[in-house]
Amino acid sequence: MSTSFFSATRLACAALGLLLLAGVTARAADKDLKLEAQLVVGSNDPQPKGPPVSPPVEKKLKRLPLKWGSYYVVSSQQFSLAKEASKPLVLGGSEMVVKNLGGERVELTLINRGKITQSLRKDQTLVTNVKDENSFVVLRQAD
Amino acid sequence: MKLQAFLDGELPEREAREILAWSQRDREAASLLAELRNIRQALAKSEPHLSHPESREFFWSKIEREIQRLKPHPVAAPPRSGFAALRRWLFPAVAVSALVIAGVIAYFQAPTAAVQTVADADAPTVETTLANSDATTYRDASEGTTLVLFSYATDDNPVKKPTAIN
Repeated sequence: MSTSFFSATRLACAALGLLLLAGVTARAADKDLKLEAQLVVGSNDPQPKGPPVSPPVEKKLKRLPLKWGSYYVVSSQQFSLAKEASKPLVLGGSEMVVKNLGGERVELTLINRGKITQSLRKDQTLVTNVKDENSFVVLRQAD
Repeated sequence: MKLQAFLDGELPEREAREILAWSQRDREAASLLAELRNIRQALAKSEPHLSHPESREFFWSKIEREIQRLKPHPVAAPPRSGFAALRRWLFPAVAVSALVIAGVIAYFQAPTAAVQTVADADAPTVETTLANSDATTYRDASEGTTLVLFSYATDDNPVKKPTAIN
């Protein structure tokens, strides 16, 4: 190791690089979350119950240990949430609140049932059941 | 002492004559003078005679010149440009400041950053609201899907198992 490797210029450049990286990371962690909440119904009936879910969502749902063969979209909502902001929703007769915790983490509170805290990056999806046994809420980042 | 000085030729002429007269009068002084003279002669024979080819002044002036030659001369510092001063102080200062800021940001981002980097950070945290309710969690890591099924015991369904599950 030569002393020139630790020269003031190189040290300054490395520090500035780290600073920029930290800044970009912090910025990414605190940006608004654009979310999509879908009420999905599962069925084993060959007759369609509505528009089918998108292929990526269908693939995810079919890998879950659920007893339904097909899934259809009942309703869908897209919304943006700033950090620490909340959005109340009523889906499938169930009241719920979605909160952006920052750092691509959300808190989904189902009134009178429970609360789920989950990281929700672009490639992640949160599925939970609502009032009816074949109804589910699918929460993920909007495309 | 005066006898020794007389022998060495260091006495003024008047005192030297007095000493000479005294040694001729006094037998004891004469014998002491003879003894001192013998000692002086014996020492003169045994001592090596060293002489220096150069004069005393020239010898010391040579030493002084050599000392002057070996003394380090102050090197004049090259004129420092503004950019050099900037490089020397401002860049390290900027680097230290940047590290401090990055550290502060990292500290405040630590809770979320830690969650994102730990492999098991994607595991959901599930809390149930009602005492008789329960929740089943299933994770499909390859598809990044988390399924949370809430259930609660009722009169019709005393077992807290979600009915939707396989």
